[in-house]
Amino acid sequence: MSEARPERVPIEPGFFTIPDDPKAPPRLLGSRCRACGEHFFPRRAICAKCLNQGTDPVDLGPSGKLYTYTYVHFPLFNSKRADAGGYGVGQVDLPEGPRVMSVLSGGPDEFRIGMQMELELEVLRENSQGQEVVIYRFRPAGGADS
Amino acid sequence: MKLDDVVVLGVGMTRFGVYPDRSNADLAREAGMEALADAGLSFAAVGEAFAGYIFAPPMTGIRVMKEFGLTGLPVTHVENASATGLVTFRDAAWAVASGRCEVAMALGFDKMSEATRAPRGRGAGRDAIDNVILPAAYFSLWAMRRMHERGTRPEHFAAIAAKNWNHGALNPKSDRQPDHEITVEEVLASRKIAEPVTAMMTCPVDDGAACAILARPELARRLRPERPLIRVLASSLQTETYTPGHTFMGPVVGPATMSRDAARQVYDEAGLGPEDVDLVLVHDAFANEELEYYELLGFAGDGEAEKLVEEGQTKLGGRIPFNTDGGLIARGHPGGPTGLAQIHEIVQQLRGAAGRRQVEGARVGLAHLVGGGSVCSISLLART
Repeated sequence: MSEARPERVPIEPGFFTIPDDPKAPPRLLGSRCRACGEHFFPRRAICAKCLNQGTDPVDLGPSGKLYTYTYVHFPLFNSKRADAGGYGVGQVDLPEGPRVMSVLSGGPDEFRIGMQMELELEVLRENSQGQEVVIYRFRPAGGADS
Repeated sequence: MKLDDVVVLGVGMTRFGVYPDRSNADLAREAGMEALADAGLSFAAVGEAFAGYIFAPPMTGIRVMKEFGLTGLPVTHVENASATGLVTFRDAAWAVASGRCEVAMALGFDKMSEATRAPRGRGAGRDAIDNVILPAAYFSLWAMRRMHERGTRPEHFAAIAAKNWNHGALNPKSDRQPDHEITVEEVLASRKIAEPVTAMMTCPVDDGAACAILARPELARRLRPERPLIRVLASSLQTETYTPGHTFMGPVVGPATMSRDAARQVYDEAGLGPEDVDLVLVHDAFANEELEYYELLGFAGDGEAEKLVEEGQTKLGGRIPFNTDGGLIARGHPGGPTGLAQIHEIVQQLRGAAGRRQVEGARVGLAHLVGGGSVCSISLLART
């Protein structure tokens, strides 16, 4: 008998989807302005560009282009893998427009500006109810699943 | 309405550093009493105060102000992240300019060393999406993009850091006062924080307080007739304007152009340009920021900031010295008082009282800070 996979819950609700299929990529929860069409992440009620009151919820990603990045030589706050040594951080330009700040999966030498990135979920820790607390991050497209 | 009928009458500050045995009230009293003595005033003359801090709980500003006595004066709390101190300064200047009071006090204090040990409020325990990433990463993202676009090398950032460490050695109020000449090699060899930024390219976590007393020129002439007048020519504060690529998540966000817009505003208001400025204090929490500000504040054309570093033009003795007191990297960065330490340095320089780090004939000084969120505040001061 195979063990049931623990339920996954977001570190904070309202920012990304958690698909039932663990192999499916998450999407980012964004907004599109009803007047000017500008896209935003995260969700917002008023357009930051034209100030129109009225946006529609849209799912964004799950891929984009790396605008800039760095590699932090300290463990990620709240990470399950505190001994991992460090982590990448980057800004990813989504095809819909928004630039998204995110943790990156991969080693210090695996990133280059302009490369294609894909969204995935990372398990940060287990909570007191035995659920996995997850956050979104980007990884280089075509890279192996963590 | 213009600001230029307001002068800085007195300044004071503690040396920045880590003070486990001293309270915010204790640090603030030292800085405030030093500023009042410098102004030649008693606290009874202060008509309004602005108390700036980032990390202490609500009400702390009002309670800290009781250290000076209970005179019933209006006190306003100010918090704009790292830019807090310059915003207390701006508010105090306008309180005098508007005629609301004769003498205003801008006071900043903080104990960042305690705050970094005990996160509080929303996201305490880092359990929020915005708080997962180490703050040091954000400005490194600028550095990596700059290197990609302009061919900047880590040596450029290291040279700026080494300069500021060495300026700190000449400032008795600086946290870091190295006992030897800091070299580019030493900065590059220090511990890696976030590519390409090393530990010596970053500011320390500090405690401290700083204070400025603002008033009308007539009072300055009466109390300190032997001194030049240090006028506030202009003071700007702004948040970001929406542009594509604005990142809404994270404490330091968006394109760096906010500094360019805030600088244009003070130059326009003062009727001056960068060519009229003799020294500049900027937010060098990370050394690569200072390089960007050479261009954004108008001291180098786009893509030419690296040349300023290579030619040593922003060192003491160079064409336009930056962070003459050591900057955030050496003098230190407690948070709330940081901007008032910049004002302290500019006032010393414009009075000709900066000792071994004196900029010859300094007449105009510019103080610039950015703060998370984000905001930018710039003040322009001149000796007349």
